[in-house]
Amino acid sequence: MSKKKEEIILKKAKTPKQKALRVCLYVSVAVMTLIILYPYLVMFSTALKSRAEIYAADGTIFPVVWLWENFTDIWSKAPLLRYFLNSVIVAGGSTMIAILCGIPAAYALARMKFKGQKFFLGLVIISQMFSPVVLLIGIYRVMSTLNMTDSLLGLVFINAAFNQAFAIWLLRGAFISISPDMEQAARIDGCNKVQAMIKVLLPMAAPGIVTTLIFIFINAWNEYTIALTLISTDLKKPLTVGITIFNGYNMIEWQYLFAASLFATIPVIILFLCIEKHLVSGLASGGVKG
Amino acid sequence: MKKKKKFLSSVEPYLWLLPSMLLMAIFILVPIFEVFRISLSQVTRSGLIKGFTGLDNFEKVLKGSTFSMVLQNTLVWTVVVVGLSTLIGFILALVLNNQFRGRKLARAVVVFPWATSLIIQAGVWKFIIDTDYGALNTLLIRLGILQSAANWTPTPAAYFAWECWVGIFVTIPFVTFCVLSGLQSIDSSFYEAATVDGATFWQQLFRITLPLVKPSLTVSTVLNIIYVFNSFPIIWTITKGDPANRTDTLVTYLYKLAFYKGKSGEAAAVSVIGFLILCACASVYMVVSLRREGNDE
Repeated sequence: MSKKKEEIILKKAKTPKQKALRVCLYVSVAVMTLIILYPYLVMFSTALKSRAEIYAADGTIFPVVWLWENFTDIWSKAPLLRYFLNSVIVAGGSTMIAILCGIPAAYALARMKFKGQKFFLGLVIISQMFSPVVLLIGIYRVMSTLNMTDSLLGLVFINAAFNQAFAIWLLRGAFISISPDMEQAARIDGCNKVQAMIKVLLPMAAPGIVTTLIFIFINAWNEYTIALTLISTDLKKPLTVGITIFNGYNMIEWQYLFAASLFATIPVIILFLCIEKHLVSGLASGGVKG
Repeated sequence: MKKKKKFLSSVEPYLWLLPSMLLMAIFILVPIFEVFRISLSQVTRSGLIKGFTGLDNFEKVLKGSTFSMVLQNTLVWTVVVVGLSTLIGFILALVLNNQFRGRKLARAVVVFPWATSLIIQAGVWKFIIDTDYGALNTLLIRLGILQSAANWTPTPAAYFAWECWVGIFVTIPFVTFCVLSGLQSIDSSFYEAATVDGATFWQQLFRITLPLVKPSLTVSTVLNIIYVFNSFPIIWTITKGDPANRTDTLVTYLYKLAFYKGKSGEAAAVSVIGFLILCACASVYMVVSLRREGNDE
């Protein structure tokens, strides 16, 4: 919004009724922010308490003794570093595969006209309808046949496949919003289709591609159900499944669970904040034009 | 030569689609096929398929009273979570669409629940509502609102309500951002003209805002129906569907059937039923989006 408009709005805000509305606005935003941040506050404060303090009869909101060492202790209490690496491998690998398969498909859907185009787009949308959970039994069987039940590679492929729809959707939206003129110019200059795509289209679509990358990475990073079902070896678990190690049979070690949860959450929130703006416009354009 | 070239150019798009199609075929289509096959087969506890049994598995699933309760839970879960999160998310988007100090910060905060793994979010809420040492009781007692610890989950229904709340909590951001993207594309001259004409806030909301953000709202609602219907971690973390299936939805129920009770056949039958329900949703979405595309052309 331009500065002029902002000034107009600020001027408007000076009438009493508008002023009251402003106050309402700030109050509602503040309340909403507090409610959303509450679980994170609980996570943080609990992660710094001792077990005795957590289970004490007269609990406190903030820790009485701030046990910062909880954050370092967890790394020796559980193979957390290993879980972390597994998550990186699964999320990174599935993002790579999803993008490498998604770019040519999105390119074809955005730039070419062919029979069955609508059908394929429909298929992409429908594939999104089926979450891996409903298909777990089938997935388990396929993975057994492929000998990938207890392997990170299996998780990589499943996550890549179930994120294909989003990848194609977001990338197609990004490609469509770029005029094909530049690519045609490159074609006239002697590039073939693939060269024109790689040298002209992909750099121009970089924001959209990065958004898609990060989005798929986060999806795979946060995935829980398939990993829970397919992985049985402790050292092959990704973070989401691994941290439940603090969820013992008799007593939950909340302080460690939440300390580890914070390590699993904060990088993702930062990544998400980077793409927030692009992601929304991407979702909207892909969806509306879809 | 010319013929060959023509052939190549007609096949070309499909070659571009091939990697993507292969990936989806192996890891989505084959599992779909397998689920259908298992649902119609007799399966031993060890997972061996012993042959076609017709609709036996479906009969077994539908026989008891458990399934109708689970189905009802799923329906309540989906409608309540999608309905309320859409309403709240929409209002939140209207609020955030205003110009005010700290708007960027507020938008950033709204992203948080979206970016957090459901399993972590559910874990925190499980801790918050605990009767003995939960954070909610601690907070309310320390603030002087409560005298002694309250039992926030006296009945299975109360547990289920809390699970719905967590579902709403994590679903709101997606709705808010979809609506925000729709709102940003509305030309402000519409509102200026309406204000000049003396339209009230509500008239502007129903005559201008709602019709124009309808596409974004449709996308977010349809996608949310699918996500929420299939959502597993929240209920799994907080109650595991217990006590006695009272808080089970289709997905947690089928998970228990398949991986705890060794009844793959019946679990597959539940999958297929869930599937058909989603297919109905999918076809509605397809009809809506195809009609919209038709209007564009």
